[in-house]
Amino acid sequence: MLAPPGASFALFLRSFMSGVILQAINGISLAALLFLLASGFTLTFGLMRVVNMAYGAYYLLGGYIGYSVARRTGSFELAILCGGLTIVVLGFFVDRFLIRPIGHNHLAQVLLTVGVAFVIGEVCLAIWGGDNLRVAIPPWLRGGMELPGGLFYPKYRLALIVLGTSTAILLWLLYHKTHIGAVVRAGVDDREMVNATGINVDRLFALVSALASFLAGLAGVVGGAFLTLNPGAEWDILVLALVVVIVGGLGSLEGAILGSIIVGLLDAYGRWLLPEFSYFVLFGPMAVLLLFRATGIFGKEQ
Amino acid sequence: MTARVLLLVAALAIAAALPSLVGEFWVTLLTQIMIFGLLALSADLLLGHAGLFSLCHAAFFAVAAYTTAILQVRHGVSTALAAPAGILAGTILSFVFAFAVRTRGVYFILITLAFGYIIWGVAYRWASFTGGDNGVTNVPFPAIGGLRVAGPTQYYYVVLVAVVLIALAYRVLITSPFGLTLRGIKSSESRMRSLGYDVGSHLYVAFVLSGLIASIAGVLYVYYNRFINPVAASFPVSLEAVLMAIVGGTGTILGPFLGSGIILVLRNWVSGFFHYYTAVLGIVFIVTVLFAPQGIMGLVARWRAGNRGEGA
Repeated sequence: MLAPPGASFALFLRSFMSGVILQAINGISLAALLFLLASGFTLTFGLMRVVNMAYGAYYLLGGYIGYSVARRTGSFELAILCGGLTIVVLGFFVDRFLIRPIGHNHLAQVLLTVGVAFVIGEVCLAIWGGDNLRVAIPPWLRGGMELPGGLFYPKYRLALIVLGTSTAILLWLLYHKTHIGAVVRAGVDDREMVNATGINVDRLFALVSALASFLAGLAGVVGGAFLTLNPGAEWDILVLALVVVIVGGLGSLEGAILGSIIVGLLDAYGRWLLPEFSYFVLFGPMAVLLLFRATGIFGKEQ
Repeated sequence: MTARVLLLVAALAIAAALPSLVGEFWVTLLTQIMIFGLLALSADLLLGHAGLFSLCHAAFFAVAAYTTAILQVRHGVSTALAAPAGILAGTILSFVFAFAVRTRGVYFILITLAFGYIIWGVAYRWASFTGGDNGVTNVPFPAIGGLRVAGPTQYYYVVLVAVVLIALAYRVLITSPFGLTLRGIKSSESRMRSLGYDVGSHLYVAFVLSGLIASIAGVLYVYYNRFINPVAASFPVSLEAVLMAIVGGTGTILGPFLGSGIILVLRNWVSGFFHYYTAVLGIVFIVTVLFAPQGIMGLVARWRAGNRGEGA
């Protein structure tokens, strides 16, 4: 009648272990997406001391544009390009004409950029409506593939992990191994000094800001293909990205990498094991960490 | 000074007479304005007096409201017990969240934002206890002993009395040595530290008091709204509270209530003909930051200084 207790336990253990592995991959693929958004946020904060709460809205708008482009042209690559470039243009105007006039007042920056996010969110609602939309995945990334150990996993999410990892490596190389990166790092440490050496800091700011905007728009398109695009999604993703940069340390690229992985895994396991308290699983450890190390893991004292 | 007292008495007389002058729509709206003004005032105790920008005040507001609603609706506890229990629950939470004062600046903003999301997430996801998206409905009007609030107009007076008493206590608080110390910390923390003040404890106590006021606002809200759902705990509520304080003028008592009035009247007016109210709110944020960072009270102060020939 009943299976022997040992066998049912073995069965339980087997399904539990495959759950652990699946959630780990889920977590890492979310981490890859969060990194795309958080790296831009953290670099612009590090260099310009700007807290831009509109990044969530950039993500959503980029995603919607990608959705429309992919629908019209059927090209995912073009969707990414258009989504990213639109946000570059938008981000430039927001930076130049709204954020720069108010200077280094974080309170004013938060209020202003939240205002910008509200306006963008409502414009998106007016154009794309309130339904859940999903960017079409290119055919070659549809379906699943078998992982070693007999697990099936969606190809798209694995591709996302590849994208996130390669972006992290490229950014790391750009940041640590190139001349531009050296200037940016110098700018993070001491802006006035960099300015005094005759480097055009304004142009540098615009460059980093454009890169960050592009990554946010790109994140919206690739994220909009497996999470849905809908009103309110901009805040869900922004809060996760903020936790990433807080845990990792504002202004630190390594922090954004580590923070993404921590947040991605906590979110995946939290949703799986404690669905009712998944936000607590995510924010609780962060709060405790901050009480002991206010600047995050890699953050510098200010 | 006497002129200000007279003005205050006149304002109170008008406030007391209003329900017989205007319709029920306005009475309800005014009640809402006072409640959210109180929430804005609580956030402004930190922002205007201690220089800390908190984004978690909806948490105390909502926890107090949920506690009162759940006790009263599901367990049949009377208002005399349910309301203080709600205030207590919100305040206890603020004892925990107050550890955020270990951080400053942008870290304080972000950590309080995350704190606020914890409470929203629990209210939203822990559906078996909080009712999830539907929340807790059918909250009755408050009744203590034989005294029973019978309608919106009577409740207006309850809120008016509560708000006036709290505003008076608030005034005592901010003019006390404690309040002045907070101001000192706001303008120069290192100076206050070297003068021997315990900055951390002062900020901690200010945070808890701020949470207490937000909790009172939450309990007033749940009896006003008659139901509570996770929206009350959401990030926009915390943000709007701060915005109201800023629009009205931070560091004042009247400012947060003025700001609450402006925002809520604007919302009611705009929603009548324009579907995208949040966009209008966003523009208010942007315009305030760019053109009136000191709020209405700041504009008034500048105008008065100009009249006396002190303006630059």
